[in-house]
Amino acid sequence: MRKFLTLIALLFIALAPVAAQAHAFLDHASPLVGSTVPAAPHEVVLTFTQNLEPAFSTAQVTDSSGARVDQGKAAVSGNTMTVGLKALGPGSYKVHWHALSVDTHTTEGAFTFTVGGH
Amino acid sequence: MADPLIYARAIHFAATMLVAGVVLFAVFIAAPAWRGNAGSGAVAIKVRARLAVLAWIGLALAAIAGVAWLVLTAAGMSGLPTAQVFGGGVLWTVLSQTTFGRAWLVRFVLACALAATLPALLSPRIHKTPWLEAAAAVLAAAFAGALAWSGHAAGGLGNEAVVHPAADVLHLIAAAAWVGALLPLIVLFAAAGRDDASLAMARTATTRFSILGIVSVGTLLVTGIVNTFYLAGSVPALLHTEYGRLLLIKIALFLAMVAIAAVNRFRLTPQLLQHASIAASRDALRKLRRNAAVEILAGAIIIAIVGALGTMPPAIHAAHQHPTYEAVPADAAFVHIHLVEGMADVTIRPGRTGRARATIRLWDEDFGPLEARQVSLTLIAPEAPGNPTPHPARQGRDGAWQVDGIELSQPGNWTVSVDAVLDTNKHLTLTAPIVIEP
Repeated sequence: MRKFLTLIALLFIALAPVAAQAHAFLDHASPLVGSTVPAAPHEVVLTFTQNLEPAFSTAQVTDSSGARVDQGKAAVSGNTMTVGLKALGPGSYKVHWHALSVDTHTTEGAFTFTVGGH
Repeated sequence: MADPLIYARAIHFAATMLVAGVVLFAVFIAAPAWRGNAGSGAVAIKVRARLAVLAWIGLALAAIAGVAWLVLTAAGMSGLPTAQVFGGGVLWTVLSQTTFGRAWLVRFVLACALAATLPALLSPRIHKTPWLEAAAAVLAAAFAGALAWSGHAAGGLGNEAVVHPAADVLHLIAAAAWVGALLPLIVLFAAAGRDDASLAMARTATTRFSILGIVSVGTLLVTGIVNTFYLAGSVPALLHTEYGRLLLIKIALFLAMVAIAAVNRFRLTPQLLQHASIAASRDALRKLRRNAAVEILAGAIIIAIVGALGTMPPAIHAAHQHPTYEAVPADAAFVHIHLVEGMADVTIRPGRTGRARATIRLWDEDFGPLEARQVSLTLIAPEAPGNPTPHPARQGRDGAWQVDGIELSQPGNWTVSVDAVLDTNKHLTLTAPIVIEP
């Protein structure tokens, strides 16, 4: 049974990148993915592995209660997407991005970052 | 394979190849054969009329499938159901604001301009219009080549942003000039061979076609290698992904076409050109027609594959999808630790109490190898957290990091922690549970 579960787990791990993969990947983000930052950032900058289509690429930032804390439409330039933030207090925030690469394929993903308390 | 996008793409590619191929054939292959009196003969007039029909069918199919492709892509981009794409300005947003849409508009204009040249280019009476021929050839090449901005070639950054589309443009033009011109060649062969004049026309066309064929095959080969480098990147990616395997089938079909073309060039073409007897020449013509038909079949399958490949994630994105799973030995404990900044595969062998060796492989988020300057491994026993000491790992020749002689004092749920100082000076810590058997 344990072997079977291990196999299932391995299958999920092996298939996860398949489900998540497509064409424009998140290369890196500011604040860093999963990081804790001491001071509240004014914006989230997402850098992708391909150029994006501004018309169909979006990012939303929400706090732990699910309320939007971004300032609306993300600005896209080349392979970076920038979204302004409202004044953030300490806490955990989720960035959900949706990217359309110039090669016509969409990708999406989410990550969290934490603003540290004082 | 039920995705309608694949059909729309495949039909549009095939129709584009056909219309561009007919025009390039008329300008570079048939026109020289029609110089002098040959161009006004009944056979030449018949061939031109049939080429015109082929060109118009190609344009019509390209238009219908092109609209379907645009609508399906707009639906995919916006996330809306296909029926809702027509309202709310989605189509216009796609056409005006995306690379795909702008390329679509440019190609629509090119197709209209190309259509305007067709009546004169393929009229029954021959006109001496070198500028029109040049314009038609340029428009046809551009109509085929601009397809490069409708797909994967458009996505790259840096050098790839220049080299990849350039290679793809040449690839598409070469494919149109060769594969697209096969059907016109059959039309010409079918009409020729009944008298000396038309046989001379077929000979001139065959000579020209073999030059065009060699140039096209060479171009397809070089640009195909460039495209494969960007979209597959490695041999494992070709062998272990659906994209890579389809691409290999495509390459195999291409090589089969080249083999047939070689027979045409080195056996049948000399037979057609050198034999004075009409019977031997007609026999060669018949075989050339049959071979061209087989090549068209292979070309059609290639285009169907192209239709599918454009909708699939390129192999390069999935290159290291199965890093070590196949290689995990039965007696080993294995864990895959995944963060966006990087990931690690830790194998402990044997995965039971006693002395064992740990192997750590580091990957970046795209499953590319992650270079580190220093790696250490910490193992925390289930019931004795204490203050475990990290074991320094050394890098083996295969790039994996090794720790020998670790002591696993008890079975159960251990915690494994990998600490890596990356080449970028970043510090990466990956922690996960791992099960040690008794």
